[in-house]
Amino acid sequence: MRGDRLRTLVGMLLAGGLVLPFLPLAVWSVAHGWRYPDLLPQDWTGKAWTYALSDSAGVLHSFALTSFIALATTVLAALIGVPAGRALGLYRFRGKGLVTLLLLAPAILPGLAVVFGLHAILLRAGLTGTVTGVILAHLIPVLPYITLVMAAVFARFDTDFEDQARSLGASPLQTFRYVTLPAILPGLLTGALFAFLVSWSQYLLTLAIGGGRVQTLPLVLYGFAASGRNDVTGAIALLYILPGVVILIVSARLITGRGAALAGGLRP
Amino acid sequence: MTDSRRILLLLAPALIVLGGLFLTGLGLTLLRSFRYMPALGLTDPDLAAYRDILTSPGFLKSLALSLWIAGASTLIATCLALGAALLLRRTFPGRGLVSFLVQLNLTVPHVVGAIGILYLFSQSGAFARLAHAAGLIGVPADFPALTQDPAAIGIILLYVWKELPFITLILLANLQTIGDDHEATARSLGASPWQSFRHVLLPMLAPGLFAASVLVFAFAFGAYEVPLILGAHSPKALPVLAWQAYTDTDLALRPQAMAMAVIIALVGLALLLLYARMMRQGGPDAR
Amino acid sequence: MTRLVVQGLSKRYPGAAAPALDRLDLTIESGTLTALLGPSGCGKTTALKLIAGLLSPDAGDIRLDDASIRDLAPERRGVAMVFQNPLLFPHLTVAGNVGFGLKMRGLGAAEVTARVDAMLAMVQLAGLGHRRPAQLSGGQQQRAALARALVLQPNLLLLDEPLSSLDAGLRDEMRDLIRSLQRETGITTLIVTHDQAEAVALSDRIALLLDGRLAQHAAPQDFYRRPASMAVARFFGGVNFLAGRVEGALFHGPFGVLPLAHAEENGPATLTIRPEAIRLCPGPAAHSATVQDRCFLGTQSRITLDLSGTILQALAPPEAVRTLTPGDKVGVTIPPEALWVLPPNQPHSPDNSTA
Repeated sequence: MRGDRLRTLVGMLLAGGLVLPFLPLAVWSVAHGWRYPDLLPQDWTGKAWTYALSDSAGVLHSFALTSFIALATTVLAALIGVPAGRALGLYRFRGKGLVTLLLLAPAILPGLAVVFGLHAILLRAGLTGTVTGVILAHLIPVLPYITLVMAAVFARFDTDFEDQARSLGASPLQTFRYVTLPAILPGLLTGALFAFLVSWSQYLLTLAIGGGRVQTLPLVLYGFAASGRNDVTGAIALLYILPGVVILIVSARLITGRGAALAGGLRP
Repeated sequence: MTDSRRILLLLAPALIVLGGLFLTGLGLTLLRSFRYMPALGLTDPDLAAYRDILTSPGFLKSLALSLWIAGASTLIATCLALGAALLLRRTFPGRGLVSFLVQLNLTVPHVVGAIGILYLFSQSGAFARLAHAAGLIGVPADFPALTQDPAAIGIILLYVWKELPFITLILLANLQTIGDDHEATARSLGASPWQSFRHVLLPMLAPGLFAASVLVFAFAFGAYEVPLILGAHSPKALPVLAWQAYTDTDLALRPQAMAMAVIIALVGLALLLLYARMMRQGGPDAR
Repeated sequence: MTRLVVQGLSKRYPGAAAPALDRLDLTIESGTLTALLGPSGCGKTTALKLIAGLLSPDAGDIRLDDASIRDLAPERRGVAMVFQNPLLFPHLTVAGNVGFGLKMRGLGAAEVTARVDAMLAMVQLAGLGHRRPAQLSGGQQQRAALARALVLQPNLLLLDEPLSSLDAGLRDEMRDLIRSLQRETGITTLIVTHDQAEAVALSDRIALLLDGRLAQHAAPQDFYRRPASMAVARFFGGVNFLAGRVEGALFHGPFGVLPLAHAEENGPATLTIRPEAIRLCPGPAAHSATVQDRCFLGTQSRITLDLSGTILQALAPPEAVRTLTPGDKVGVTIPPEALWVLPPNQPHSPDNSTA
């Protein structure tokens, strides 16, 4: 059908455009000497990769550090954001608009607006240059994200289930654990996975608060790029996007797999 | 426990964190932009920093550049995203692949995309080499400066590359909610496909579309790492200029950095209010 | 076997013009099946939620066997409530649902399984324990929800409109099931419904709530034969109200004198006559009426009669009145037992069966 063929053509163009920036990164990562105007490298080698994965490059350590920071930020944000999301999703109250605005602000205002003042605060608390300080800084964009996701999840949640559980003898804690949590878990997990990525991608906040001492992967990547080591840069870049791919696959499973049964039962 | 007490308890941790880190951070930046720093013995707030930057051609050029970057990226990304959403709306061979790539793009950090764009479009990059192979250019300098150039083309390309999938996914979600019935009704009343799109579908998509563009504009305006990699030496994008002023050894530039941050915050605030207005228009139950 | 006493229970929702419940006094005897009846919005579900502990009252007390439960958390009251919507937890199997309360109590897995299986058999869901709620029909879900509450052997069972969401055929089945389960287990049960036919068919006693207050609490028959007020009579389909005077055992009404079954208080009064109690005969009788209209209603026909200017409605078996047409003259007999003088000027009566 002509319409279909046109769509496929445009679709392939779009796909090509989306993939394009990865190509030079991939080729550089296995290139041994690639000068202008050569279209392909003179030779191929795995040296960039072995170097990147070695201890001396510090890449693996940075990968672990960045993962730890993202995980800690996400867990912290979840602990704070789930109750806040519940308040926003289930209740109407005076000042709700203002609270929502306060939550949206860190997601819309650029990090630069707050980072200088934030540095002063954390300096006084002795947290600049520390991992803890960076985690607190990452909370600023991550917390609103999780809160708003949970608000949407709770908006779909029928609290009558909780009443029913209480009426069957469950304490408030048991009710949360056996009734509420299973119902909000798919949404929470999906939100948490993408919140992880928000922290994973942070540059300026880490730079400003970490003060160069907390070398997360984007900072390491930039370091190599600025020093002209294109081959290692390519390898690190591909390593850096790996968790994102994994998260994408996992969250797709969550939405279509067992999670669907749970999520579908939210409103009978 | 009464409802209001419960609500307060549920919100308290979030409010404390945001108040203590975000609002206080903003507040301190504001105070210091007025050169009010008691720790250094400066207790007379004044507008010297603002005067300095607002009369400096460097700052004004940077501000204009950042606005240009944000505006152009948002406009291009929005238009292309409309097309992409209409494309992906229906099934066609290869749709699964395109869909996957669109979602994948969301997970890619901006730094990676920026470096990729650099390697593609720099004067010794992939496209330059293709041009050379095609006999169009000789030395790298013959290739037009698309990266680290005064028009910020490379930066705009990167933002379009990143934000197009983002807006497309939002549009697709909205399209699914809206459904096909409205356009079907329009068509059965005699509207052509274009008319049905222009007068029925587009108005329904508009609020969500504007809201998404506001988010995109805000990011393109205030992000630091992208102009760091793809930006020219002069004029610098505003975030880069501000960071440079902040890290300059000349401490007298600090208040100016603060003032620039405040300007950025004000632009962000305007966008925030615009976004909030858009979301309210989206429907009575849009929270 | 638990007796429920509600005293002075009041609740007003913030921002509401009128209270949902206004000083409700109600005693439910142990082992009875009582219907809490009333139109939508009259406060019945509020009362249920207050008794279950899911809402807290503005004033009043709630006692089970003379122990106040008013300040106890819902899970400690020994009161199990089943909502109108089955609310089976979607992430648990049917067996998991039915055993939920037992698990919360800390019972061992073997014990839970044994009790759950016995209960599933009792509600005719044997063998379906491993299924997920979404795989059950509406009627089956309702029965599972009921089983889930009953397996806990609560002191008090509260059911909120258990039959409303079911189709007519299922409704009868479910009603019979509730009736037989209650008789078998002897659990004091309170059922909320807005359907008076359902209340009449299901319960030992009915507590009628109108405007947040108890209008009458009695056996079903009393609502027809001896309604406590005009509002109650109207709610149960009473339509013949005559204004007049009582003198001794006679009622002086608009179309003549009617003998009462026994003497009542002298003075002005309103008399009500059940439509189904009015007897029609072709020949001469105590009163004479002109037929105004005949309407076939299925199992009965409604005849509108004109007695010397007063309009009365009668219900009769369709066969008996098939030949009547508007304009015909018929004889009308109204047995004294069918007459009821409404209590003077009292919109609501206290919580006692009307003598």
